[in-house]
Amino acid sequence: MRKVILVIMACFFLSSCGPTSNFSGNDNPPAEADFVAGKGDVLRIVSGSENEELEPIIEEYAQKNRVQIQVDYLGSLEIMNLLSQETIDYDAVWPASSIWINMGDVSHRLKHTQSISTTPVVFGIRESKAKELGLMRDDVMIEDIAQLIEAGQLSFAMTSATQSNSGASAYLAFLTALSGSGEVLTTEALEQPALQAQISNLLSGVNRSSGSSNWLVDLFLKSHYDAMVNYEALIISANKQFVAQGDEPLALIYVKDAISIADSPLAFIDKGDSSDKEKIFLSFQAYLLSKDTQNKIEQTGRRDAYGNIDPANEKVFAEWGIDTKMVLSPITLPKAETIRLALNLYQTTFKKPALTLYCLDFSGSMSGEGNDQMMKGLEQLLIAENAREHFLQGTTNDVSYFIPFDSDVLSIYQANGNDAELEQAYERLRAESPGGGTDVYAAILEALKRLDGYELANYTPAIVLLTDGRSMQDNEDEVVRQYQAMNLDVPIFSIMYGDADPAQLEALADLTNARVFDGRKDLTDAFKKVKGYN
Amino acid sequence: MKSKNIKYIGLVILALVMVLVVVFTRAKPEKKEPVYLDGYLGGEKIGIFEDDEIAKILLDKYGVVFDYQKAGSYDMIVADHTNRNYLFPASQAPLELYKKTYQKTPKSEIIYNTPLVIYSRPLVVKALVQKGVVSQKSGVYYVDMNQLTQLMLDGLTWADIGVPELYGSIVVDTTDPSASNSGNMFAALLANIINGGQPVTAANVDEVAVKLKKIYDKLGYMQTSSADMFSQFLKIGVGANPMIAGYENQLLEFAVSNPDTWNALKNEIIILYPTPTVWSTHVYIALDKAGEAGIEALLDSEVQRLSWTHHGFRTGANASQETGQFNVNGVAKEVTSVTQLPDDAVMEQLIEKIK
Repeated sequence: MRKVILVIMACFFLSSCGPTSNFSGNDNPPAEADFVAGKGDVLRIVSGSENEELEPIIEEYAQKNRVQIQVDYLGSLEIMNLLSQETIDYDAVWPASSIWINMGDVSHRLKHTQSISTTPVVFGIRESKAKELGLMRDDVMIEDIAQLIEAGQLSFAMTSATQSNSGASAYLAFLTALSGSGEVLTTEALEQPALQAQISNLLSGVNRSSGSSNWLVDLFLKSHYDAMVNYEALIISANKQFVAQGDEPLALIYVKDAISIADSPLAFIDKGDSSDKEKIFLSFQAYLLSKDTQNKIEQTGRRDAYGNIDPANEKVFAEWGIDTKMVLSPITLPKAETIRLALNLYQTTFKKPALTLYCLDFSGSMSGEGNDQMMKGLEQLLIAENAREHFLQGTTNDVSYFIPFDSDVLSIYQANGNDAELEQAYERLRAESPGGGTDVYAAILEALKRLDGYELANYTPAIVLLTDGRSMQDNEDEVVRQYQAMNLDVPIFSIMYGDADPAQLEALADLTNARVFDGRKDLTDAFKKVKGYN
Repeated sequence: MKSKNIKYIGLVILALVMVLVVVFTRAKPEKKEPVYLDGYLGGEKIGIFEDDEIAKILLDKYGVVFDYQKAGSYDMIVADHTNRNYLFPASQAPLELYKKTYQKTPKSEIIYNTPLVIYSRPLVVKALVQKGVVSQKSGVYYVDMNQLTQLMLDGLTWADIGVPELYGSIVVDTTDPSASNSGNMFAALLANIINGGQPVTAANVDEVAVKLKKIYDKLGYMQTSSADMFSQFLKIGVGANPMIAGYENQLLEFAVSNPDTWNALKNEIIILYPTPTVWSTHVYIALDKAGEAGIEALLDSEVQRLSWTHHGFRTGANASQETGQFNVNGVAKEVTSVTQLPDDAVMEQLIEKIK
C-alpha cells in the first residue's frame, strides 16, 4: 500500500512540478530592448515613442506581478509595416493610433485591441509668439496658419509624416482641411495642382523634422525653436519642463478644421500558441485600464481612454490655452489607398527636399563585418525599391553627398534626385576598401564646405556620420569654430558603431541639436531611423 | 515529541494525497478530451467567446472549447481556412457567398439575432428631434430613415441642422460594406430607402447606386470590424463619430460588462432604432465534422439565455424580450418595423458600385 502511495505521490509531484519548472527555465533571456521592466515571464511590446513617458507606470506593474515587460520603440508607420510581415518578434503592439493597426493587420492576427488613452495632435507655439501672431483664439483655421507661413512669420517642427503618427496625422489633417470644408480627402483631390501647391507651401514652414514625437520634445528643451506640431500630452510635458527651467512655455493651438486624435491602441498578437502570453497581456491591459492607472496616465497629460478627464486631474490641463471642454471634431480619415498615396506624395513631392551629407567611415577597423553592415544599411536607403518599402525614398530635388573617409577625406561624390544617381553612388561606395585611421572631423569640415551655396531654408539639411572608432581630434576645434561662424542649424546625426567614442559623438549632437543613434545592435535599422529624421 | 509530530505530518500528507488521488481518478476517466475549435469570429461576438460562464457550460456539457480570430463577415469567407473548424459571420449572406465560392453546402445554423441600430449622442439627437427626424415613443428613440437619408442626399452639414460644434456633412459612419456585415446591412437599408422603401432589384440597382455613392464618398476610411467601430465611437467622442451604425447587442453587452464605465457614460450615449431596420442573423458555419459540435453547444438554452442577459443577443427575431436588466435607457422590447434585404447578387453589385 505504502509503495503504491509513494508512486502516486511521486507521479503527482512530478506532474505538478513539470510545467512550473519549465516556465522558470524560460525566464529572462538576455533582454535586448529599449526598455525592460521587472523579472519573470516575458511580454514583448513594440510601441510608439510617446509611451516612453509611461515607463514608471509599466515598471510598477512589472515589479508587482513578477513579469518582465520589454518595450521597443518604433514609429507607428514602421509598426504598420511590421504587422504585414509573416513573423513578428513581439507579443503586442502599441502604436499611437488605430489607423496603423487597421491598415497593417491584414491577416487578422490582432486581438483584444483597446485604446489606453487619447490625445489630440495640436500646434504648440511659444506664448509670446502666439499672441503676437493673433493665434490665441478658439477659431484658428488651417488657412490662418498657411498665411503666416507664406508671410514668413511662422515656421514649425514636425515629425516625418511617413515615420511617425503625429506627423502623419497632422499632415493628413492639413490635406483634408485644405481640400475643402470638412469633407473627406479623396484621391482625385490629391491630384489637384492647387491642393498640391497649398500643401507644399504649408510644409515649407517645417524647419526641423524628426522620426519620433518624443525626440521633438528633447530638441525643444535644448534649443530655442518657436513652434511644433505634437501631441497635446507631449506639449504639456514639455511645458512642465520649460517652466521648471525658466523657459517660456508653448501655447496649445487647436486648429479647428485640422484636428486629429491619437487613441493609443494596445493589441495582442495572436500566434495561436501562446495562451500564457495572452493571460499576461490581458492582465497588463486590465491594469492600464483600471481606474488607478488611468488616473496616473491622466496626470501625464493624456485624456483617459474615453476622452475624459477626472475632475481631480483638471489642473494638469488648466494652463497654456488647453481646452478640454471644446468638442474636438477630428478629420474623417481618407480611404486606405488615399492615405498610401498621400504618404508617397509627401515623401517624393510635397516635403522639402533633403540635403544629406553622408560621412562614412572607411578606416581599417571597418573592414569585414563593419563594412558589410554599413553597405547593407546604405542599400536600404539608396536602392530606390528598398527605400520605397520603408517610405524613405526622397524627392526628385534631393541632393546627397557621399564623403568616405579614414584619417583623410577619401573622395566626394554628389547624387541628385531619388533613384539612378543614388544607386550609382552606392556602387562606388561598394568599390571603396577600408584602411587607415579615423578623423571624423576632417570629413565634417568637408561636409560643411559643401553646404555653402545652398539656400538651406529650402531644404531639410543633415549630416549623417557613421563611425566605428575613436577619432583623431586635431580638427575638432575647427569644426566647432566653422559651424558657429557659419551660423548653421544643420544637425549632425551620428551612427555609433564598434568602438566609436560616445562622448565625441554626443558633443557633435549637442553642438548641432541632433542625436546619436546606436548602430551596434542593428546598423541597418539605425540607417533607416536616421533617414527618418531628414 | 518530535517523532510524534512527524507521524502526524505523515498522516496529514497521506490523507491529502488520498483525497487528491480520489479526486483525480474520479474526475479523469469521466471527462472526454475536450474538442478545441478554432475559427473566424465576427468581432461583435467576441464577448460571448470570452465569457467564462458560457465557456464553462460549453466545456462541461458539450466538451467544446472555442478559440477564434476576429474577422469581418465577408473577409472570413475568403480568408485561409486551414486548421479552422468554423466561421461565425453576422448574417446569412456570407453563408451564401461561401456556398457559391466553394461549391459546398456546409452544416450551418442561425444562433442569434440582433437588429441594426444607430448610436449617437445628445448634442446630435436633440437637433434631430427638433427637425422631426427622430421621435420618442414609450422611452424608445426611433429615427425616420426616409428623412435621415434625405438629409444626407441633400448634402446638409451638421451646422445646417443647428449643430455648429460639429464639422462637416451629416453622415452615419459604418464599417466597410465590402468587408463587414454591419456596414453591408446599413448600405442595404439605405439602398431600400432610396428605392422608395422596396428592396432594390437588378432592374433598379444602377439608379440607386448613383445616389448611394454620394453618401458613401463622404465616409473615407472605414473600419472592418463592428467592434472596433463601436469602441472608437465610445472613445473618441461625438466630434469624430456623431452617428454610427451598429448592432443593438453592442451597447447592451458593453453596459453589462463595464458597469462603472457605463454609469459614467450613460447619459452621453443614445440608442436609436431605425424605422424600418434590418435584422442581423448570426449564422454559425461548420467547416468540418469537428466544427459541427459547436452548433448544438451554442444552441443550449442556458448559453442562449446568457447570450441575451450578458451580451444582448436576441434569441428569436420575433419574440418580445425583457429589457429592464440592462441599465440602458430606451431599449425596445421588440423590433417590428423591418425591411427585407436585397438579394445577394444585387447586394454584390451595389457594393461594387459604391466602392
